[in-house]
Amino acid sequence: MKVSYDLDTLINKFKKKDKVALAKLITTIENEPEKANEIFKHFEGISHDSYIIGITGSPGVGKSTLTGAICKRLLEEGKSVGIICVDPTSPFSGGAFLGDRVRMTDISLHPNVFLRSLASRGYKGGISRAVFDISLLYEAFGMDVIIIETVGVGQAEFDIYNLAYSVVVVLVPGYGDAIQMQKAGIIEIGDMYNINKKDLGGEDIAVQIEMMLDDTVFHSGWRPPVSMTDAISGEGVEELIQNLWDHKEHLELSEAINEKKKNRFSYKIKELIYSKIEKLISESLINENEIKEIVNHALKDGKFKIYRTIHNKFEEVNFEIKKKE
Amino acid sequence: MSGKKIRVLMSKPGIDGHWRGGIVVSRAIRDAGMELIFGGFQNVEQIVESAIQEDVDVIGLSIHSGAHFAYTQQVIDLLKERGVLDNFMILVGGIVPAQDFSKLKEMGVANIYGPGSMTSDIVEFIKTNVKK
Repeated sequence: MKVSYDLDTLINKFKKKDKVALAKLITTIENEPEKANEIFKHFEGISHDSYIIGITGSPGVGKSTLTGAICKRLLEEGKSVGIICVDPTSPFSGGAFLGDRVRMTDISLHPNVFLRSLASRGYKGGISRAVFDISLLYEAFGMDVIIIETVGVGQAEFDIYNLAYSVVVVLVPGYGDAIQMQKAGIIEIGDMYNINKKDLGGEDIAVQIEMMLDDTVFHSGWRPPVSMTDAISGEGVEELIQNLWDHKEHLELSEAINEKKKNRFSYKIKELIYSKIEKLISESLINENEIKEIVNHALKDGKFKIYRTIHNKFEEVNFEIKKKE
Repeated sequence: MSGKKIRVLMSKPGIDGHWRGGIVVSRAIRDAGMELIFGGFQNVEQIVESAIQEDVDVIGLSIHSGAHFAYTQQVIDLLKERGVLDNFMILVGGIVPAQDFSKLKEMGVANIYGPGSMTSDIVEFIKTNVKK
């Protein structure tokens, strides 16, 4: 019963701004990333740049509701917006419950918005492997702004920093004390901070962040601003959007935007190379069964022999990478 | 973990506050290794737009209001109008009397799950009938 479309038909429809074609191309690229080359060669003449915003923070802080509220304002300003929302894939079943769209029902019928929910599909770093490719598709589609909402992250998932030009770290009242603010990781990557659910308080968190920022040297000349929102009512969202545009202006005037763009592409190039090597390793060097074998060996001989077993295993390995002259 | 995954949209058309059935089935679909997009309360236009943008294989309509004929027909009509009806398999669940099943199937619904249905049957039906 399922209709299949050939790639040329999809590309032609896509160029006429057909959302069915955009949706189908996203599916293609998510399921068969090796087709990216075939797809993107049709867009080589397009020079449109979208501005990319990243929204990150722990589960339940209101990222989706806030994304919806930001998007609503951008649509009112006449902008077109492509949204990518990532939720985690279960390590047990491989399934996922994608619950971001349900927070954005009121913007979902606007003609200038496109929203896609993605499962992380085992990819680490708070996003999914397909996020970069989908952002490229949105750029080719002509979106003014792209919003990438990460998985609800912990302290150490910050790949979004490499893909977005402005990163909003979303916190909530009761986040933590001055010690939490000193930790490396997620708290460091914000181009701005936003405390959501301000109806529950959170002024103390704003003060803690400002104090943390007081101790930081900003070589870029940009000190991250701190805003507070109640995403459900939309209160404070104007200020957050102003911070986003101020940051965009800062990046453009200081030409740091070029570094951000380079960073985005070098991130993907590295990812592509690493994933190819990973595939090579799992196919030809070591697979799950061999790992089990090593484990059985190590447990039989005693757990302290695990390093010796691995050492011996690699003695047998002859892995040659030919470097191009 | 790339490769194809079955994607399912779970929506509740109209004003009908009975979440539990939709949540339980959604969870079973997640646990069966599929990707479930939870649409929640949506009107007919929002359901069709979500199904298109999320490029799902299955549209699940959870209806407990007694208006299953009206809503299902509206969803089918709009999918037809958008030229995408054949892209999706439609399943209906909720408080649907058994005597209404055959009419819903004639309308184009692939299967109907009334009270007492097993989530394992729903999962099995989707896996068997979604052609990838």
